[in-house]
Amino acid sequence: MADQLLEQVRDIAEGQIDFEGQRLAELLATVLLATVGAVSFIVGFIKQDIKLALYIGLGGTALTMGLIVPPWPFLKRHPVKWLPVGGAEKSSQGIIVDGKVVG
Amino acid sequence: MHSTIVRGQNVFGFFTTVCFVVAALIAASDLLAPRTPKATVAANTVQVVRGRPHYYSTKKEEYAIIRFTMNADFSSLFTWNTKQVFVYVSASWPNSTSEELVNEAVIWDTIITNPSADHLQNIGPAAMKKLVKSAKGKSIDPKRGKIDLKNQKPKYQITAPTGKLQDTDGVVLRVHYNVQPWVGVLTWTPQIEFGSWKKLKGGVSKAFKLPSIKKKDPPKKA
Repeated sequence: MADQLLEQVRDIAEGQIDFEGQRLAELLATVLLATVGAVSFIVGFIKQDIKLALYIGLGGTALTMGLIVPPWPFLKRHPVKWLPVGGAEKSSQGIIVDGKVVG
Repeated sequence: MHSTIVRGQNVFGFFTTVCFVVAALIAASDLLAPRTPKATVAANTVQVVRGRPHYYSTKKEEYAIIRFTMNADFSSLFTWNTKQVFVYVSASWPNSTSEELVNEAVIWDTIITNPSADHLQNIGPAAMKKLVKSAKGKSIDPKRGKIDLKNQKPKYQITAPTGKLQDTDGVVLRVHYNVQPWVGVLTWTPQIEFGSWKKLKGGVSKAFKLPSIKKKDPPKKA
């Protein structure tokens, strides 16, 4: 029982997500951080307050990290369909060479 | 991006890049704000005394105590990126051994902080509270840039490497400043005009002469 629990914890700690999720994570990271940077500079420049710019920048980065780093379910929506372990599938055509089924 | 650690590393890596770009933009935005500093300074009372560099020294040197009056307006130097402005007054006189060299020594200086850097000042809690309140919640307080000193006692008594100072001619007081930003390069009193950053207007006093050491009158016999 403890073994299963440990397995679950290990899974969450490793935080694997599928390939579509990885693409989404990379896109989100770039867009969000660039936006946070732009917003913090513009707001700071208009209000002429550098402390405000710093807080917006750090807060936005913390939010982005919270959104992308943990393995959320929305990053695991397209899991990879692995083939079954062991022999070929029954419905597979087998290996075809010059029009004749060989394997 | 396949595991938590990798995602963390990538996000942090891009974060540092964004930090650098934003800091560069903030430093560049300083060039847009015009700087028009002005100052007038004049020597008030000047004394030359004989003294020692420290208590046990056998060498005796001559020290000049120059009290001065100064009016300055450095309010245009304060932008959102200014952390503090360091203002200093120096006395300089020509060197007797060379045409190009000049002797220069600082007699007084002060640090003027922007409200965003008030917590860094080296003052006690009561003075700190007063300083923070004087800014009244604004992020920049140009009023602090205005300096008005009358007959100010110097912070430092100056001497020359030869140890002899009395009767030196052509002594001139100069005002200098150093703007220390939150991000960006340090800048001092400019020697050339750079865009909307003007040179310090005034800031040099009229030449004066250091007096001789006052001779003590012989004690009057009772």
